[in-house]
Amino acid sequence: MVELRGVRHRYDGRLVLNLDHFAVPAGALLAVVGHNGSGKSTLLRLLALLEAPTEGAVLWDGAPVPRRPPTRLRRRITLVEQRPILFRGTVLENIGYGLRVRGIGETEAYKRTAEVAEKLELLSLLERRRHELSDGEVQRVAVARALAVRPDVLLLDEPTSSADRSASGALYRALAAERAARPLGICIASHQLEDAYRWADDIRTLAEGRLSPVTPENLFRVDLAAGSGDTRHARVGSIEIVVTTDRTGPVVLAVPPTDIFVSREPLPSSARNVLSGRVTRVAAHRPGGGVAVTADVGVELVAVVTAEAARELALAPDAPVVFSFKASAVRVF
Amino acid sequence: MDFLAEGFRRALALLRAGDAEVFGIALLTLKVAVVATTVACGIGLPLGYLLATRRFWGRRAALTAVNTALAFPTVVVGLLLYGLLSRRGPLGGLGWLYTWQAIVIGDVLLALPIAAALSAAAVQGVDPRVRRTAETLGAGRWLTAWTVAREARFALAAVITAAFGQVVAEIGAAMMLGGNIRGSTRTLTTAVALYTSQGDFGLAVALGLLLIAIALIVNVTLQVLQGKGGG
Repeated sequence: MVELRGVRHRYDGRLVLNLDHFAVPAGALLAVVGHNGSGKSTLLRLLALLEAPTEGAVLWDGAPVPRRPPTRLRRRITLVEQRPILFRGTVLENIGYGLRVRGIGETEAYKRTAEVAEKLELLSLLERRRHELSDGEVQRVAVARALAVRPDVLLLDEPTSSADRSASGALYRALAAERAARPLGICIASHQLEDAYRWADDIRTLAEGRLSPVTPENLFRVDLAAGSGDTRHARVGSIEIVVTTDRTGPVVLAVPPTDIFVSREPLPSSARNVLSGRVTRVAAHRPGGGVAVTADVGVELVAVVTAEAARELALAPDAPVVFSFKASAVRVF
Repeated sequence: MDFLAEGFRRALALLRAGDAEVFGIALLTLKVAVVATTVACGIGLPLGYLLATRRFWGRRAALTAVNTALAFPTVVVGLLLYGLLSRRGPLGGLGWLYTWQAIVIGDVLLALPIAAALSAAAVQGVDPRVRRTAETLGAGRWLTAWTVAREARFALAAVITAAFGQVVAEIGAAMMLGGNIRGSTRTLTTAVALYTSQGDFGLAVALGLLLIAIALIVNVTLQVLQGKGGG
């Protein structure tokens, strides 16, 4: 439906996005993962036709989009920003904004507003104003406002960054309900793999403005067999990972790189997963600093340690290393 | 100091009596100020929006020009327009010199840079997400501008107030282009200057008080309008 071809986008001469091809096909559920500053928000703004790329083309259904796209085209794709802003007025007025600018009659507008407000559990907030809402509520109102206009493609930038568990559940239920009712393509940008793996059919990784062929760190698709209690043993390549979960069947396991203890020798501890191997790569880790240590412990795993710890342990390629992590540290999606 | 007290007493008496000349002058002042402010803001506010939001060749130069025009001395504008409107000038055929329309033109030229420069600053002060959000929700160019203006309404109201303040208190252009003709182009400021020079302090003070009252009423009205509509 909407695609970018040969796009190089610059801010003040600095290249922030460099994509040969990126597409959000009709009805697709796509996730773009990447660290803060990887270019996700810029990508979404280009897809939303809010900015024209410095170089390259934006295509809609295969046809090039002019640098100043016509309003009727922009109305088919809607972006919810990471920190959305609500306009002056009530939640009700905000949700109805897109309907008013489309000249939709008051009765129909109210019906649609109430419908999305109900889906996103916002009915009790309709008369509130922006300063009376929490960040999570603002995010949900912004999603409701975007859904109310029934776009063909919805772009969500970190839609649950301020939401608690139940609010983010409501949000994803609303998106699922919308997709069940009509064809809707969704592209979610997130640095939370949980969001990406729970909802997307397809995941792209963005790093330094480019699509990265490397899958996000420490993710494994496995088939969990039933076990005793809430502990499961998952076979990943030649190793076994112990997981605390009551889930069975096909799942995705994620081992957060910051939850891995790194040592030179196996240490007596409560960690159920103790894996020995050799360091394959040591690199500076961008978000939050530290050092990313990649080791082959039967599978390739990445752990993040402080620069000081990396020095003390003399972590260098080919050094023997032990990665330990608790069964409860492994996240199951 | 006695003459001041005497002036106030005279002023109150004149206002109470509803002096026809005084009210005629006040009415003309109000008419000129309202028309000039409306025209200046009608052009200046959209111009300010364009300067703040569009990227085009020469934008920086245009902003500099508008900001420089803020400091134009009123008598220079008066002189320039006098040259244009005088019988030998290129616009002499209009016969507008020494009419209230000429004062309006002068005032528009003085208030326009204020309206454009300050509204550009006001729009630049609006969170850029407002514009993006309006656009992504399907607003066209005009509705997007309207949405941004709504968010900047306090600052824009201040722009209108500043433009009105410039126009209503201006004397240089009013004197040179209007000619301070009794019953025709005499405004409050030119009249105050005239009666002061003639030593008629009572009348001068009365007109001064009226000028302040007009400014106060307009400001209060704008504040009331701003207060409506909630946050």
